[in-house]
Amino acid sequence: MIRNHLSTIIIFLVTAAAGVIAAISFGKMHHPEELYPSTFLTKKGMLSDYFDGIKGTNGDTEVYLFDSGVEGGTALLGGGTHANEAASFLASVVILENLKVTQGRVIIIPRMNNSAFTCSDPMEGFPEYFGIPTDNGTRTFRLGSRVTNPLDQWPDPLVFAQYPSNQQLSGFETRNLNRAYPGRPDGNLTEKVAYAIIQLIDKENVNIAFDLHESSPEVPIVNVIVYHEKYEDIAMGAVLGLEMAGLQFSPETSPKNFHGLSHREWGDFTNAVPFLMETSNPSMGRLRGKTDVDLVLRGYCDNYKKAKETGALRIAYREDTGEPIEHRVGRHIMGFKELINSYNYYYPENQIVIENLPDYDLMMENGVGKYLNN
Amino acid sequence: MKARISTIVTILIFFFTVSVQAQTFEQPVLISSAGQSADVKLVKMLAQRQGLDATTILMAKPADLTGFKTLIIVPGFSSKGLGAAGISQQEEMERVQTLIKSANDLKIPIVMLHIGGNARRKGQSDAFNQIVAENSKAMVVVRQGDEDGFFTGISKAKNIPLTLVDKIAETATPLGNLFK
Repeated sequence: MIRNHLSTIIIFLVTAAAGVIAAISFGKMHHPEELYPSTFLTKKGMLSDYFDGIKGTNGDTEVYLFDSGVEGGTALLGGGTHANEAASFLASVVILENLKVTQGRVIIIPRMNNSAFTCSDPMEGFPEYFGIPTDNGTRTFRLGSRVTNPLDQWPDPLVFAQYPSNQQLSGFETRNLNRAYPGRPDGNLTEKVAYAIIQLIDKENVNIAFDLHESSPEVPIVNVIVYHEKYEDIAMGAVLGLEMAGLQFSPETSPKNFHGLSHREWGDFTNAVPFLMETSNPSMGRLRGKTDVDLVLRGYCDNYKKAKETGALRIAYREDTGEPIEHRVGRHIMGFKELINSYNYYYPENQIVIENLPDYDLMMENGVGKYLNN
Repeated sequence: MKARISTIVTILIFFFTVSVQAQTFEQPVLISSAGQSADVKLVKMLAQRQGLDATTILMAKPADLTGFKTLIIVPGFSSKGLGAAGISQQEEMERVQTLIKSANDLKIPIVMLHIGGNARRKGQSDAFNQIVAENSKAMVVVRQGDEDGFFTGISKAKNIPLTLVDKIAETATPLGNLFK
């Protein structure tokens, strides 16, 4: 009798302990990791400062401002539109933690869709976190979801009618921030976040805006700069400049009839010059094998090597080295720098001058951790 | 006898090489795309920098050839480009085939510039690459796009002069030289 009760109590305690551990682990996803901006940061605010309809929600997120105090243009850099694209978020963090602006202003939002950092994509087997070794220990970062947390926005419609174009997409896309622009103040949470970003661009008179992304190696739109047709020359100048630095970026025009994306709607609805960049991330592809932190960071996958060797598809994958995180972060940072250089060439009266960001070669030599503060 | 044959062959190769290298093209130039990749915008910029009298029409049709003496085609598939143009891949291929046929009928020489490297190879790009390359009178290619010898093979099979360069920016000089 006592033995029966004892085993019941033990099972109960073990189950309760497992539940508590799982709850703590789950709850941690709602606590964003600490970021350590460079000493040149002048102001930290929230996205809800520009639209209070997201205040107190998981859509609200930190906005960092670097103001040189010297008259010039204003740039917006957004990471983490899709929280499962590690290099997009990490590149914005590296820039945040190193940037010095000597003319004009730079605004950084590392977690554009903050809600997407509070969950993971179901059925994908993604790790919840990844660690970057630094001189002072390992910094841990969240690997989130492509879309807004369903706990914050539910249910999805069967068919998503994009506002205001009424373009019809799969219901899942209703939680995709990069289908939600220009957003609306009375829409769902994702549309409200999009609306808040548009308000920020308007109120801060943003001249040039960046949306950082990653993509599967087999997707045609990878290792690219997507540009709005109004600003073709800036993109072309940057592509040539990057090539001189040994980095190949393909220019891609933003389709006029594909709505809700930053490179389309920021250009149509604001005065900003928008650019979207994509790097190749094997951990996101359909051909990937075991999906673990090693794949996210080292970006090496035999399946992609084999796929490329068949020649059946164009695969943006380097057989020998894979697509490691320092390569992907380095490309984003170089793209950011070179597009600003090209913008300055075409808008000399409104320059943005930035310093202190690592070049691609240094990033490859030293790794990402060398450029993180803690 | 052997010596004579080798001399004749050498002379023939020399004259062929000279005739190929001496081939020049006339302006004004029409620049168009095959596959609607934005690479054509880069070629437009490079042509401007070389001071060429060039007009760019992304979706040029046979009627657009009037008044032009050379047609530069920049092949490479882009789904975003086709989306921006509002056409399908099939429609784009039909346009390219018609344009090339008209240029050949009008004896307007075609120059191919492939600058997109491996991003504009294989997959849906190679059908455009092949038709343009095979109908060109000269090719300028960024070497990364010819790692498998695709363009070199066409060049040898069809006796089309091919210039390989390492970088996009390096295509400007051979492009300019074609018109000198």
